[in-house]
Amino acid sequence: MIGNDIVDLRQAMLESNWRRKGYLDKLFSRTEQLWIEGTSKPTQMIWLLWSMKEAAYKIHSRRKNWRAFAPLKLICQTLEIKEELATGSIQCENITFFSQTILATDFIHTVVSEQYPMQAIKVNISTYNPGDCSYRSTDPATVSHHGRFLALAYLK
Amino acid sequence: MIAIPFQNENMDRSLILSKLKVIVANYSHDKDALEYLTESTDFIKDLKINSANLVDVVLDVEEEFDIEIDNLSMERMLNVSAALEIITDKLKEK
Repeated sequence: MIGNDIVDLRQAMLESNWRRKGYLDKLFSRTEQLWIEGTSKPTQMIWLLWSMKEAAYKIHSRRKNWRAFAPLKLICQTLEIKEELATGSIQCENITFFSQTILATDFIHTVVSEQYPMQAIKVNISTYNPGDCSYRSTDPATVSHHGRFLALAYLK
Repeated sequence: MIAIPFQNENMDRSLILSKLKVIVANYSHDKDALEYLTESTDFIKDLKINSANLVDVVLDVEEEFDIEIDNLSMERMLNVSAALEIITDKLKEK
């Protein structure tokens, strides 16, 4: 099973103020906050970590039929950033998930898998049109939309 | 919801609900669902609140009611009835 999550960075800037008092403590572990403090791009790091948690939650919630707002139960364990690509792992209730993230100028998109190395995955990112559900007939394995973007991921 | 004016607890509940409605209105992307808000209204499925904004709802509730919402409570704060229950319990603890 795979899960994905896209963050439209413009939308995130309009809708979220992560500098708000108490904000980071509710979403990120101490270690994750140290990563945020230790980078020259804190906004990018925040949405990178957030999308990792969201994509992992998509798998875990389906597997366990679990529904919760529990960002602190999804812990980013490892993270390596090489230019526009980030790879990492997320742990939730003793299960480890593996992630790959594209760090683009306008968006951040993460795919998470239960397997390592990750199976072959095809990603399609396009403009989101709320009235158009035709993408459903393409049978994507996981769907995410935010702001201007629609992200579909397929198992090859 | 039917308000029973003779019972203080119910009046408190409707007051809490009206304050909660003002908070979630800031993040809802479905104005119809907001207008017909009931206790069973789901923050994500009905009000289409972005999951990244759920934390803002929690922080706004903490500020408005001067309470602290622990992580376990936050986990289940996904709909109006859970939020009302959490707020009522935390207010009693004060």
